[in-house]
Amino acid sequence: MTVAEGAKYVAAAYAIIMAVLIIYYFMSARRVATLQRDMQLLEDEAKRLKAAAAGSAAE
Amino acid sequence: MKKLLSAPVLFLGAGALLIIGILLAFWYSPIDASSMGFSQKIFYYHAPIAETALVAFGVSFVAAILYLRSQDLKWDRLGVVCVRLGLLFSILVMATGMIWGKAAWGSWWDWEPRLTTFLLVCFLYAAYFVLRSVVDEEQRRATYAAVFAIIAFIDVPITWFATRLLPAGMHPVVITAGGTGMPGSMFLPFMISMLGMTLLLVALIRRDYEIETIKDRVSDLKTSLGG
Repeated sequence: MTVAEGAKYVAAAYAIIMAVLIIYYFMSARRVATLQRDMQLLEDEAKRLKAAAAGSAAE
Repeated sequence: MKKLLSAPVLFLGAGALLIIGILLAFWYSPIDASSMGFSQKIFYYHAPIAETALVAFGVSFVAAILYLRSQDLKWDRLGVVCVRLGLLFSILVMATGMIWGKAAWGSWWDWEPRLTTFLLVCFLYAAYFVLRSVVDEEQRRATYAAVFAIIAFIDVPITWFATRLLPAGMHPVVITAGGTGMPGSMFLPFMISMLGMTLLLVALIRRDYEIETIKDRVSDLKTSLGG
């Protein structure tokens, strides 16, 4: 096998590895950010409901 | 120390090592003198990915045992994360192995011991997710998954030793008890890539574990808010 022939296979293999790992890296980073935002919204909502319940109990 | 092992530092370290490994593989290591020729360059990422996939399954095996002992869901989360990453890495190994096989041996696939047992590993760990998807109750799902992960792990050492115990197959054995069987100019980029891939696995485990933890927290909050 010549270097040129081998290079096609090598390029294909490395392209697959790089593409999958890089896409996975960015997808997981995005997932963390989305989940953290959701969690923050839910925690704020839980605090708001708790404060409202405490307020109505005081009345 | 904690800062040194933070996810961004691990990702940066992994990326740097993987880039150095690939640069050395192409510009420092010689072209393989055997029939594999230039296609042997695939080895510098293919083998480290294979070994880190097996490490991930090893961690999931330990996590499964720890879960069964403690019934603590943090071990279940770690198990899921490791199986997911192990499976992802295994699929990469199969894909790049097939490309390398076509280049070196002229065929995409051969039913020889290493390839067959590795394919079985992929199927077993894919079944792990099927099993998880059909059990709703959290603790029961975690218990079934842990038992399955322990059983599935039996195939991992078989895969590792397949080429050593049954050397008749086409798959080469690089690391043996007697040494590496390759010159230093090939061993150095291999080890750097190996270290980079291991660091990448650790970084991805950390991040995916964080995802699973936040998912559980979000689910608990939704339940407590009545939605």
